[in-house]
Amino acid sequence: MTSTLESPSTAPATRARNVRVAIIGSGFAGLGMAIALRRRGEHDFVVLERADDVGGTWRDNTYPGAACDVQSNLYSFSFAPNPDWPRSYSEQPEIQAYLQATADKFGVREHCVFGADVTSARWHDTARRWEIRTTSGTFLAQVLISAAGALADPTYPDIPGLDSFAGTTMHSARWDDSHDLAGEKVAVIGTGASAIQVVPAIQPIVDSVTVYQRTPAWVVPRTDHPVKPLMRLLYRIVPGLQKAVRSFLYLFREFLVLGMAKRRRFLKPVQKLAQAHLHKQVRDPKLRAALTPDYTIGCKRILISNDYFPAVAAPNAELVTAGIAEVRQHSIVDRDGVERPTDTIVLATGFHVTDLPIAEKIRGRDGRTLADVWSDGMLSNRSSTVAGFPNLFLLVGPNVGVGHTSMVYMIESQVAYVDDALQTMDAEGLAVLETTEQAQRAYRDLIAAKSKGTVWLTGGCASWYLDKHGHNTTLWPDFTFRFRKLTRTLDRENYIGTPADAPATEVAA
Amino acid sequence: MSAPTLLRRVAAVRTPDGAELHAVVDGSDDAPVTLVLAHGWTLAQAAWDDVADLLKPRIADGALRLIRYDQRGHGRSTWGRYADDVAELSIDQLGADLGDVIDQLAPSGPVVLGGHSMGGMTIMCLAAARPELFGDRVRGVALVSTSAGDLAPAGETLAERLQLRFAPGLVTVAIGGARALERLRQLLPPTHPRHQKMVRELLYGADATDEMVVAGAEIMHASTVRSFAAFYPALGEHDKRQELKTLTNVPVEILVGESDKLTPKRHSRQLAEALPDANLQIVERTGHMLTQERPQLTVDAIERLLAAATADRTAA
Repeated sequence: MTSTLESPSTAPATRARNVRVAIIGSGFAGLGMAIALRRRGEHDFVVLERADDVGGTWRDNTYPGAACDVQSNLYSFSFAPNPDWPRSYSEQPEIQAYLQATADKFGVREHCVFGADVTSARWHDTARRWEIRTTSGTFLAQVLISAAGALADPTYPDIPGLDSFAGTTMHSARWDDSHDLAGEKVAVIGTGASAIQVVPAIQPIVDSVTVYQRTPAWVVPRTDHPVKPLMRLLYRIVPGLQKAVRSFLYLFREFLVLGMAKRRRFLKPVQKLAQAHLHKQVRDPKLRAALTPDYTIGCKRILISNDYFPAVAAPNAELVTAGIAEVRQHSIVDRDGVERPTDTIVLATGFHVTDLPIAEKIRGRDGRTLADVWSDGMLSNRSSTVAGFPNLFLLVGPNVGVGHTSMVYMIESQVAYVDDALQTMDAEGLAVLETTEQAQRAYRDLIAAKSKGTVWLTGGCASWYLDKHGHNTTLWPDFTFRFRKLTRTLDRENYIGTPADAPATEVAA
Repeated sequence: MSAPTLLRRVAAVRTPDGAELHAVVDGSDDAPVTLVLAHGWTLAQAAWDDVADLLKPRIADGALRLIRYDQRGHGRSTWGRYADDVAELSIDQLGADLGDVIDQLAPSGPVVLGGHSMGGMTIMCLAAARPELFGDRVRGVALVSTSAGDLAPAGETLAERLQLRFAPGLVTVAIGGARALERLRQLLPPTHPRHQKMVRELLYGADATDEMVVAGAEIMHASTVRSFAAFYPALGEHDKRQELKTLTNVPVEILVGESDKLTPKRHSRQLAEALPDANLQIVERTGHMLTQERPQLTVDAIERLLAAATADRTAA
């Protein structure tokens, strides 16, 4: 539209909608960003959502037992407290309802384009626009914010014969509610955060459940309880009470960072607690041994559950540690040569975290995809921007993950940073803002230095936190308040800005 | 792809009173015969693991189906109607449970039963309650380290008389204080030499290896004080000496360790007298844990029963 380029392959599509900002995704990150824009009067933006509702990870993960591992008082937006959480740790339907209500309350829905699955996003240097193609049309945006999330795209394991399985196969994140598991022989592959929630939820109704475990997880007790009506009333009428509870939970959880990232010995009591939990819930010494991890607690995500161990030790359950050799039409064969008849396979095998699939769709200034640029590991400045990708901001990108506390805290930190960047562009009249490779290297070195000696690198495990080179590219390896401090305002010195009136062909670098 | 595999499934057998019995079924449903193994007091199906290992090739070949299960209140199995009150618990209940296991997991075809210690008594109780099963369906029985009754102390010495007098009260105390006792028990784990010495002296014969003793001690350690206390009086009351006639309809193998202290060999001799066609073996240098101490001998006896059960279809 505004382009003067003639070449059809590089010119933006003509029948495109023009917006200032395009946000990909409407989970906690996308909504948080959209709300921040709305609250300061910015209306020229769209939220591109591939599904037909807001909610992201919490909309998609509808498997039985899906719940949050962080207390809702902490796992919620700071600006939208909910005095009506029914439980201390909410289950998926309540969190999804909260996201829907919050989207409505702040008028985000009118900005949402549903059914808009992003197929490609390409930066046009002359037009200074992102051209975003979706299944619901094309958009031209000055700024692209990817809030596609880290737990968005399920990973499917590479097991021989899985494709030829004649029964039902479903990923925990793509649960088929219409499929009745009652009376079935169900195999659950994986023992991560989703598996330990789905196993106890289905164990009472299935004929039998077989849990295929590669690595056991450390599990600590879940201090979940219903929130009493009196407490809910107090949250409403006592100013600051819910905020105080939130602060307490935040600080309490932050102490875990001491053990995981600073002094490993502080993890000892936590590991003792997990050991005692297992000891109390599982009597059989063989099963107990199979469920005991050989790595330091915290190296992989610490799981919380009171009913996972009892479910695995139930009369109709079996834990298989031999590994899967192959899947046949109606059974699974383990590496010990034992074949178990199976009706349904539940893949609780997690998500593409170290290789964010959205990165394959985003092409920067020189036409290379973000995935290509990141082939040696995800690189960024402040977890938010990438050199060569002007006016692109990433939410829940590299090195913002946390295993010990609320992801929403990290998201709000990032939203503030991106918002400050947008306001800086306004204030300085910039058309283009781009970070430098130098800034990325400095940030990578900072992360590497902080990661050194942490339990994630030295705890003796292979986790989804580390990429294929063994580098921590997913976790923020320090106190989360340090990340907030780092991202409070835009580090303007690490960016090159191109004024709106500068000639289009000039490359600022 | 075509490598021989061992079919396995777990099953929770639901009894009429709502207990769930944890069973592991190995082998094809088409196998010509099913072997059901019942374990002893404060043990679990793992007590049969060594025997099961030796039977593996036969199962993988499709010649045998094997069912191991945890008795009520043991291993993974629940208590059912005895969850709150064990006063009425008897070995007859275990016999009924075994009947439920057969009905649900081996509803047709020939069956051979193996019982160790309390598991043997379980089979006797089933035979007394459902004699019609023995002959056409149940075609062989292995009774290992077990007894038809008269297990309670005779009351001849002062110590025995005191035990008889105070045992019921002690059992009640033990059940009431099961939690506290559990905690005390943790102080002497199976890895402790004193614990192993105790277990070895009570349950094992001269040839038992340390590995056997530790394995057995761990299985027992995993069982609860509650099942120890709840089944103690039931074992004392067990008396099927007058009701063994049903077992004369099928081939029976009786095995006992020479140095068995829990169910001494006189009990097996009594069984052999009541079952004149049964084959009695008294095994030297062997204690109560015969299935663990002499798995091959146990398997040999079982295989004789399996052969008879499959070969002799018309005669049964």
